[in-house]
Amino acid sequence: MSAIAPAQRPTRLRNNQGILVVAALLVALLIFGAFISDRFRTLSNILNILEQSTGLALVSLGQTLTILTGGIDLSVGSLISLLSTLTSGLIAGKASMVLPVAIGVLLLGLLVGIANGLLIIWLRVHPLIVTLGMGAVLQGIVLLYSLGPAGAVPPGFNYLAYGRLLGVPVGAIVIVVLFLLVGLFLRYARLGRYIYAVGDDEAGARLMGLPRARVLLTVYGFSGFCCGLAAIYLTSRFSVGQPYTGLNYTLASITPVLVGGTLLSGGKGGVLGTLLGVYLISLINNVLNFMDVSTHYQLIAQGLIVIAAVSIYVEKKKRV
Amino acid sequence: MVDVSQGTAPEIGAPTASARSRLSAYALPIFLVALIAVSGIVSPAFLSGSNISNMLLQVAPLGIVVIGQAFVIILRGLDLSVASVMATAAVIATGFSGQNSDVLPIVLIAVGIGVATGLVNGLLVTKRSVSPFLATLATMIVLQGFRFAYTQGAPSGNVPPLFRQIGSATWHGLPYNMMLMLVLAVVFGVLLSRSRFGREVYITGGNPTTARLLGINADRVTVIGYIISGALAAVAGLVLSGYVGIVDNWVGRGFELDSIVAAVMGGISLSGGRGGIAGGLFGAAILVVVFNAVLLFGLPVQLQIIIKGIVIVLAAAFYVRRRV
Repeated sequence: MSAIAPAQRPTRLRNNQGILVVAALLVALLIFGAFISDRFRTLSNILNILEQSTGLALVSLGQTLTILTGGIDLSVGSLISLLSTLTSGLIAGKASMVLPVAIGVLLLGLLVGIANGLLIIWLRVHPLIVTLGMGAVLQGIVLLYSLGPAGAVPPGFNYLAYGRLLGVPVGAIVIVVLFLLVGLFLRYARLGRYIYAVGDDEAGARLMGLPRARVLLTVYGFSGFCCGLAAIYLTSRFSVGQPYTGLNYTLASITPVLVGGTLLSGGKGGVLGTLLGVYLISLINNVLNFMDVSTHYQLIAQGLIVIAAVSIYVEKKKRV
Repeated sequence: MVDVSQGTAPEIGAPTASARSRLSAYALPIFLVALIAVSGIVSPAFLSGSNISNMLLQVAPLGIVVIGQAFVIILRGLDLSVASVMATAAVIATGFSGQNSDVLPIVLIAVGIGVATGLVNGLLVTKRSVSPFLATLATMIVLQGFRFAYTQGAPSGNVPPLFRQIGSATWHGLPYNMMLMLVLAVVFGVLLSRSRFGREVYITGGNPTTARLLGINADRVTVIGYIISGALAAVAGLVLSGYVGIVDNWVGRGFELDSIVAAVMGGISLSGGRGGIAGGLFGAAILVVVFNAVLLFGLPVQLQIIIKGIVIVLAAAFYVRRRV
């Protein structure tokens, strides 16, 4: 463990190795899928996969940054549930409410994320515990607000989830643009470099006088903001929000990050790997569906893939 | 100041001594008694015989999981697969004819699965350096898949009478499952605080580098820790199956987080090397009392979840503060 690693760039070779493995797996699965089913080969199926991966991609994007700092955000599932229920609950079918509610939901997501960051800084408790506790509190709050699906959204609202721009799903375009922006931020912005530095060696970063508090507030705030985006997308997709919409996203959001080669111990990885990880997982589910594999065995397959993927990347540092 | 999980200072967790661990040994019982007293004053029904025996019945399954979780957390890990192991054990408990003659094969298979899960967890963590969070998450999902495939989602009430007896009957007001928990707590408590293996657990969790320098086979100690956690989770699942009577795929749901919360509240540090089984059991008791009080006060059930979230963060913060 190096004592001081100021804004160290991710080890290129290692980073690329992981991404190459995931990319190779993606190609192999595409070829495999094309062999087993005619319907798999169609453009519309590929576009479907892109469309369906939007929610997971949004949450995993924020999760990537928290994990890069050596932390984790376990409140995402409950936060998505809360924000999604609020979205349809407050819009209540009125078109005029869409914009104010959407802005409010994104702001609330940002604020909850910042609250996570502040608690981590002030209480000096591991992010795992802080965000776990926050997740429980948020889940309780959303259940106090509503025990079932709440409100409704106006007819045009589902454009976000099902709309097409020049034949390409809107969500997929948003995802690529967002990942590109965050990728550039991580590589070229000063604060982006600090994220790696804090994750690589927190004590070293502190000695260097890097603004650890600002880094943590940024990543957890951004993760909360991404939950807001995901909540709006999911509400659009299902036409209504309910208190368990986000349930599976807490753990699901971590898998693509790790599959994409970002280490849970922080400091190494990036968003490109996460995006490929998201596509890989969506593709696996799609292929298993075409193979008529029951959802039970899909679970087993997912678990085994996680084990296989993380076994490739050996973590040498502290463990969560 | 510095994140202790990086192990900057070579702290060899002393299993017995230190004034601080003495303090926590008294702080928790005092807190528990105060909690019970306040609850009893607010709602007299809280102290009724039936409610107390009800709470005692609920402590045991959680307590048994916490004993295993304690080993893993002291070793700087955590075990998210316990709830899945519990549910699998419970499903197996109903997978036979439901007669007492099935008890032996049920126990063997259930504990065998727990041990196998712990072995896989331990090997992933030590040999492949997978983070405990992820390794145990993955085994949790795999086990869940097998369970679903096996039951096809159908619940079953085929629990052998002996398990029902252990899970829900009492002897002069003292539940059998509580006695089982206490026996396990004593056995594993002695193992942890009095044996050579126990010392190796604390040293490995406190600082793996120190452990290596002392010639301790840290990998072996860690794998055994996960095996203990898996095996005890299986036992807890069998006990729980006798308590709930009808077993579905989600028996034990939430126990993974509850057991971690209880351990952290009981002073078992997530950064490893600190804490003991007694503390963890007090943590479990406090959790059960809090949940019960929320219900009894007629507060919305949702508050249970909110209180749990606040308590875990505050408890962790309390221990961080005290160490500085």
